[in-house]
Amino acid sequence: MNEYASAAVPVRRRALRVGGGLVRAPGLTLSGLLLALVLAWALVPGRFTSQDPLLGVTADRLRPPSGRHPFGTDYLGRDLYSRVVHGAAPSLKATAVAVAVALVAGAVIGTIAGYLGGWIDTALMRVMDVLLAIPGLLLALALVSAIGFGVIHVAIAVAIVSVAGFARVMRAEVLVVRNAMFIDAARGGGARRGRILLTHVVPNAVGPLLALAALDIGSVLLTVSALSFLGFGAAPPAAEWGQLIASGQTYLYAAWWLTTFPGLTIALVVLATNRVARALEATAGPSW
Amino acid sequence: MGPNLGVLETLTAQDPATGKVGPGLASSWTISPDATSFTFHLYDGVTFSDGSPFTADIVKANFENIQKLGPTASNSGAYLAGLTSITAPDQRTVTVAFAKPNIQFLQATSAPALSILSTGSLAGTAADRCTGKIVGTGPFILSSYIPHQNIVLSKRPDYKLAPSTAQHTGAAYLDKIDIRIVSDVTTRTGSLLSGQLDATNAVAPQDEARFDGNGFSVISRTLPGVVLSLYVNEKKTILQDQNVRLAIQKAINRADIVSTLYSPHYKPATSVLSSTTPGYTDFSSQLTYDPITAKRLLDSAGWTVGPDGIRVRGGQKLALDVIFGQPQSLELVQQQLKQVGIQLNLRQLQISQIQPQLVAGNYDLFLGNSSRADPDVLRTLFKQFAIVGSDSPALTAALSKQAESLDPAARQQAVTDAQKIVVSNAHVVPITEFAQVVGQSSKVNGLSFAANSSVRFYDAWLS
Repeated sequence: MNEYASAAVPVRRRALRVGGGLVRAPGLTLSGLLLALVLAWALVPGRFTSQDPLLGVTADRLRPPSGRHPFGTDYLGRDLYSRVVHGAAPSLKATAVAVAVALVAGAVIGTIAGYLGGWIDTALMRVMDVLLAIPGLLLALALVSAIGFGVIHVAIAVAIVSVAGFARVMRAEVLVVRNAMFIDAARGGGARRGRILLTHVVPNAVGPLLALAALDIGSVLLTVSALSFLGFGAAPPAAEWGQLIASGQTYLYAAWWLTTFPGLTIALVVLATNRVARALEATAGPSW
Repeated sequence: MGPNLGVLETLTAQDPATGKVGPGLASSWTISPDATSFTFHLYDGVTFSDGSPFTADIVKANFENIQKLGPTASNSGAYLAGLTSITAPDQRTVTVAFAKPNIQFLQATSAPALSILSTGSLAGTAADRCTGKIVGTGPFILSSYIPHQNIVLSKRPDYKLAPSTAQHTGAAYLDKIDIRIVSDVTTRTGSLLSGQLDATNAVAPQDEARFDGNGFSVISRTLPGVVLSLYVNEKKTILQDQNVRLAIQKAINRADIVSTLYSPHYKPATSVLSSTTPGYTDFSSQLTYDPITAKRLLDSAGWTVGPDGIRVRGGQKLALDVIFGQPQSLELVQQQLKQVGIQLNLRQLQISQIQPQLVAGNYDLFLGNSSRADPDVLRTLFKQFAIVGSDSPALTAALSKQAESLDPAARQQAVTDAQKIVVSNAHVVPITEFAQVVGQSSKVNGLSFAANSSVRFYDAWLS
């Protein structure tokens, strides 16, 4: 019986083949490299720029891009490149926290709903439907106004907004897995409900959820940046990407670089995550 | 600040250059020697744009209406605080009496908040008036108003009188004024440059250079009243220490803030009042950038520099929480204070959230200004709104004295004393004088500023 069950657990780990990828999938490789670079910005910003992101020379304010200041300087004479590099950490942190919270909460809700079924399923999924019915950014705005400003609060608000999608996918997967033969087998073998859930149902249902998480990173980063643009994120003088755009907004005529470079950074990172997520989705899709 | 539409008029008019109050709808007035009773003699033959006559009863009804509105009309209500009676012995005379000496009331009668509405406008609700149902005695008529979108004014051809501050009398020169409400500063700049607008107010300092000698120009006037300042919450233990307050005051490099963030139209603060406020006295010698003294003051108060450069005393960090609506100058102030070991935590709030935080005392510093072309603005700040925690008896005495002094010299002395106490004790930490900056195309002539620095259209024309 055990042999039957374990043979039917198809947890697949197919690594991405990066070798030679530049030729076969140049977009994917470039996207991967860009994400690696931005991740490195977030982890060790000091390695990429030696200039202080918070302290500028006021005499050097609003200088256009140059060798010394590749992205130019802002209205207080701070190096914009340095601010974008240091801004990676709060922006990505908020995104990562939001996706992680949404993923875990969505998985738990989806699993409970899908596995238990009945009125619990109905109640949970109607709540998710309500969350889906309200435009995401609007709901996030309302939530963050209620719970307060700051990077983590923004992340939590965005997570709540994103949780419904994850819960739905998880529930659908759990419904499929629940009726698979090996679950019947495990049940017949006398395994307890919790054990079946944790060792058989969840690992087999979680694949598409991870692919969805990868896909969601882009849109979550956009929402996080939008909230930070509106002033709900990190308090000044911290440099979150959305906030960098907002503070450059009134300088559109005087200093185009203040909005252009942070804007391009966000756009490129979102495009890159989408490209990578699509590749992941193709490899980690459902297999039964 | 929005423009002065010229639809409504006031009993008096304040000269922006001298601060003197001259005739408006009232030709003359007398003030009782104890400054408690004000008698206005109204011009004859003035009519509202709906044809109804302007009378003493209508003035009485306007002031009573403000009292009736209570907290809804907090701004105008503050001007009338302590009012005991309004009498109109005949149609050309109004007497307003107060319980206590209240010399500020004369300037208040020139403030837009005490403009005179027609009987018909008063009969409507305050909400009606907020949607543009207002009729006044002014040179312009409000033709249409779409909230958040635009205001259209048209000339009143039969307008005769003009306030003492105007350059001409009779009808206005402009036939029609279309005021667009454009909240984005970049869009305003672009609209003026592309010829969609003839003038725009609140030009961003960084855009001023674009309106220089290329068919456009910039005019400006410093806002009167309390300059952009850090209001200190003296109920907080750390800030009760005068050394800490003075250290903050001396660690701020005002000239650097103005040259970095603003333009030559803005000025470093030289007192708690701006230079265009009547009664202003120059205390620039006490508002110099002096980080060495600031550090010494903090040392003597027992705050020693900690490992991260921020000062500590008895395990407590010298970290202050500042609330505000507009952030930019604070980032620079934050950097400057850090140089002497003070950590400033910026807490940006929505406008609606600021008042509850102030009432709850849940802040260390508040970045604000308070605009009014009368030194009584200080009394309002310290006594009426009680935003500032100071209860210095000397300051209270000076502020009461200026409210009671009918003699201009005596009032000036009291106002100077009050500013001196505020600045030398750093009850408020002044930063910069704000300015109303208007960009205009070369077609526009004669735009001018009122005493409160709002733009006036009455003398303007297009060439």
